[in-house]
Amino acid sequence: MYFCLQIKIQVNIFELEIWDNEAKRCTFYTVREEGAEQNETDAFFEKYENDDTYREQIQELLSFVLDAIGDRHGAVDELFNRYENEVAGLPSHGRLHFGEVHYYFPNFPLRLYALKITNEIVILFGGGIKDGKTNQESSLNYKWIEACNYAKRIIQSLNDDTLIINEKDRTLLLFNGSSDIIL
Amino acid sequence: MRSKVARRILAETPEETKIFVNLYADILVRIKQLLKEKELTQKSFAEKLDKRPSEINKWLTGEHNFTLKSLAKMQAELGEPIINVSKRVGFVGNENLKKHFTVYKNESVDPSIKFDEGQKTLRIPDRYQPLAYAGE
Repeated sequence: MYFCLQIKIQVNIFELEIWDNEAKRCTFYTVREEGAEQNETDAFFEKYENDDTYREQIQELLSFVLDAIGDRHGAVDELFNRYENEVAGLPSHGRLHFGEVHYYFPNFPLRLYALKITNEIVILFGGGIKDGKTNQESSLNYKWIEACNYAKRIIQSLNDDTLIINEKDRTLLLFNGSSDIIL
Repeated sequence: MRSKVARRILAETPEETKIFVNLYADILVRIKQLLKEKELTQKSFAEKLDKRPSEINKWLTGEHNFTLKSLAKMQAELGEPIINVSKRVGFVGNENLKKHFTVYKNESVDPSIKFDEGQKTLRIPDRYQPLAYAGE
């Protein structure tokens, strides 16, 4: 007998906050659900930092994000893996790409989801261990759906101009110029 | 600002890990940019290399590690260097001492490094002096 469990994840109100703006070529944002103690990206890195099996890989992935993307190349397409076939209902909007940080070194088990706004602005979500062929078949399916939902709302906010890209300062602002972004 | 968690993990990350990751990213970006410049798809590139497209895909998606041989094969086909190895160049300083400096090809051009007029020795700004040392 087979059971089909459909997971529906409701994304509550969340804050878009700067995760890193010290890198030379890219500002990284993250999301923090209302009332949560920790943002999604810190929670992801901290979870695997304390796991002996993945400590080395989490160091590699972080170095890839902050050194390779942040300081050396920016969020160029070559380092960003886009999901074109797997994401249902996610509108594409010019340069916006939902995907994951493309760090795939042989058998690399970790995936970190991200939304590339420009080559200089990236929003990082959470992630996990990819143990299936697709995101849907992996145990990180929950994180995948959650990241898709965050991305959808952010893209929608950019499309209706609730959220504005300030390319000069590599930042995101609300329509009223505020940097306290609650979506 | 930088996330405290990120700062802590980065501080504990060995230098060799950072070097490895940066090299990996540089090579990946370089190959993909060369493919784009030469208007080659992974499929057409595979045909040129007499490889299966899936094999090229494995190189470019990291499923297979790059080896010196695979890089040499790609470099030969693309006709442009993928990686550069720094070289040490010898020269004679003003005080008639043999010296060396290392050429980092990936560094941006520094126009302040030039031959003084009428001189055959190279004037290296003070900030590069730690790289130059008296040879034998």
